[in-house]
Amino acid sequence: MDRRTVLKGLAGASSLALTGGLSAPALSQGASARTLRFVPQANLANFDPIWGTQYVVRNAAAMVWDTLYGIDAQLQPQRQMVESEETSDDGKTWTFKLRPGLKFHDGEPVLAKDVVASLSRWAARDPMGLMIIPIQQELTAVDDRTFKWVLKQPFPKMLYALAKNNAPCSFIMPERIAKTDPFKQITEYVGSGPMKFAKGEWVPGAKAVFEKFADYVPRQEKASWLAGGKQIMVDRVEWIVMPDPATAAAALQNGEVDWWENPIADLVPVLKKNKNISVDIGDPLGNIGSFRMNHLFAPFNDVRARRAVLMALSQEDYMRAIVGDDDALWKSLPGFFTPGTPLYSEMGGEILKGKRDFDAAKKLLAESGYSGQPVTCLVAQDQPITKAQGDVTADLLKKLGMNVDFIATDWGTVGSRRAAKTPPGQGGWNMFHSWHAGADCITPASYTAIRANGDKAWFGWPTSAGTEKEVTSWFEAKSLDEEKAAVGRLNKAALDDVVYAPTGFFLTYTAWRKNISGIAKGPLPFFWGVSKSA
Amino acid sequence: MLSYILRRIVATLPVMAIVALFVFSLLYIAPGDPAVVIAGDQASPEDVERIRQSLGLDRPFLVQFGSWVWRILHGDLGTSIFTNLPVSAMIGQRLGPTLSLMTITLLLTIVVAVPLGVVAAWKAGSLIDRVIMGFAVFGFSLPVFVVGYMLAYIFALELEWLPVQGYTPLSSGFWPWLENLILPAIALGCVYIALVARITRAAMLEVLQQDYIRTARAKGLGQGGILFIHALKNAAVPIVTVIGIGIALLIGGAVVTESVFAIPGLGRLTIDAILRRDYPVIQGIVLLFSFVYVLVNLMIDVIYTLVDPRIRY
Repeated sequence: MDRRTVLKGLAGASSLALTGGLSAPALSQGASARTLRFVPQANLANFDPIWGTQYVVRNAAAMVWDTLYGIDAQLQPQRQMVESEETSDDGKTWTFKLRPGLKFHDGEPVLAKDVVASLSRWAARDPMGLMIIPIQQELTAVDDRTFKWVLKQPFPKMLYALAKNNAPCSFIMPERIAKTDPFKQITEYVGSGPMKFAKGEWVPGAKAVFEKFADYVPRQEKASWLAGGKQIMVDRVEWIVMPDPATAAAALQNGEVDWWENPIADLVPVLKKNKNISVDIGDPLGNIGSFRMNHLFAPFNDVRARRAVLMALSQEDYMRAIVGDDDALWKSLPGFFTPGTPLYSEMGGEILKGKRDFDAAKKLLAESGYSGQPVTCLVAQDQPITKAQGDVTADLLKKLGMNVDFIATDWGTVGSRRAAKTPPGQGGWNMFHSWHAGADCITPASYTAIRANGDKAWFGWPTSAGTEKEVTSWFEAKSLDEEKAAVGRLNKAALDDVVYAPTGFFLTYTAWRKNISGIAKGPLPFFWGVSKSA
Repeated sequence: MLSYILRRIVATLPVMAIVALFVFSLLYIAPGDPAVVIAGDQASPEDVERIRQSLGLDRPFLVQFGSWVWRILHGDLGTSIFTNLPVSAMIGQRLGPTLSLMTITLLLTIVVAVPLGVVAAWKAGSLIDRVIMGFAVFGFSLPVFVVGYMLAYIFALELEWLPVQGYTPLSSGFWPWLENLILPAIALGCVYIALVARITRAAMLEVLQQDYIRTARAKGLGQGGILFIHALKNAAVPIVTVIGIGIALLIGGAVVTESVFAIPGLGRLTIDAILRRDYPVIQGIVLLFSFVYVLVNLMIDVIYTLVDPRIRY
């Protein structure tokens, strides 16, 4: 009997018991209705949203630090800390004015100099910021509430860069903190967001506490993702890290926690049966599964070998391995961009559609010159999504007649080894698995994995002039139609050259007690507007 | 005795130094890179390299080791790569839950296992003996997480008597502290109780066959007096030994138990640190565990002299 079987049995049995009328709170439960207890997706091991870019850090940081602009549910940047902005006629000078009355958690006012220091630190680490730095002429504070960003050439996506939700977000910190080297951690967690971080109660790996910031002045608009009025309805939010999904499920069922960010697929049916628990899709932008082939070494340095794999792979196999039998949780993805978003395209996606053609794939693989050499496939076993995909890939490659060197290890090792540019037999690799948050795959701006600029590209180091040309076209586009056209061409070029292999689009659930209301769907858990009744 | 204890303490220092060097070397040659974990999945290789440099991970092995030893000699366990908090503070945060769990488990074991072992020896070959030993085999065979889930299901979800997860410090009250530890202690204690009960039975059986026991019986001494005054004291050496060695089992078992019951103890800290390659934290914990083992061994040796006057140093 394995552990998962045991926990499924336990959770299932407990659900039946609870739905049978045994749903009174546990004797141990004594938390106030003004405290929201939340189980995050992962451990909050550090708390510098610029230094470390894990999603869990970004999610916590969004409570503590505010941004100048915030992306809303329509994927549009909206003013947040900013009251107004002006662009010069030549598009090179941006002048921003802050809202009055903004305060940091230490009581100090938010000044333009704080913004300048914060943006400088952010830009050194963020892909869009790194595009601005080479064209930056100056970034200066004009007065306490006004700052100016002067560029050498227009950057039409400026507001998107300042509003975007993918890490690192351009969080605003006090100048003394923001002056920290972007590659070193900050030690003070003072922001101007709607909640304060209770550092004294932080037990890294176990618990993080956030308290309502009484002096926060929300905007008057309705909250929408990272934009609008961020009204905090509880006094405290406690993040309780639970490494064991069965424990999290049990704690949610007996009311020891209020909200579990992402229950694993196995336990969702159990939670759905519980009359005290609501379960719904957490993030409609979902995730895009992927595996990357190393473009530097045989066999995948030949586009025919990469295309052969694409011709044979079944996205359904990958998706069912990740989400199980729930058809509502996945869809095929003949492209790279997030379904349902404005730039989504299937141009050039025929290779991923229809019946899988193993004979043609084997023929193409043979034409590439593959002659049975080992294909080193790295798989992080401690991440269920990568493990599931790795198993499917191993089977796929074997069916294609490839000699698979399946290296199942932990994420720390995969993450380290994938950076090696040495040949697979000398510590390098041929393929590894990952996935990308759908929210990061809406535009080329935040989509690190789609870049194909050789040595500067993400692991696998693809080179595709066609893809890179269309990335540039998107940045220069002046209308949505131009953007769509550029991304369509980009999608085709990236598929033709197989920048990476998309394994499908999948969604995950979130679950909460029914005495909690106001939970919004989105790419991160939004705590504003969430209330709890006794 | 005092000079013996002092000599033993001094002798622990080279042992701990060797352990430290071994662990440091092992981590250094093991695959995996904390910078990769810090940088996140979407980071560029350049970002990872910059983080490596800022953490000093690009420096030669001997420089890193020398720097670490120098800090240790000054009482500084270093700073966590991830949290930027002092390792000693992180260990301090986690020590309470783990010590609490181990203490309750140890007490539970002694209170349950030793009497069971004595009774089993007393009734050797009987149904009672077979039942007790059957339970011991059962307890020894079940993985900690299975027992943990079963207990959580019955006592937390079904009966709603106890919480399923978490830890409350003793400063918040005795019962809030204890209620969080009962289920994990039982889960963790099962294997331990089984082990100690079996050893106690075996040791008692051997002692009960000795001439002086026969003499005691012949003199008309009661069964309780024979078992608990004469026999148990003379069987105590192997029992104390196995209880001491069992501390190692407790530490290993605590890793799983703390995960199942979401207790923020040292076990979870260890696993988190290993998965993230948080070298300073791993090194600090290993040093601590080495010290605990040495201390436990020392205590066992001291207890030997108390229970068996023939043992002298």
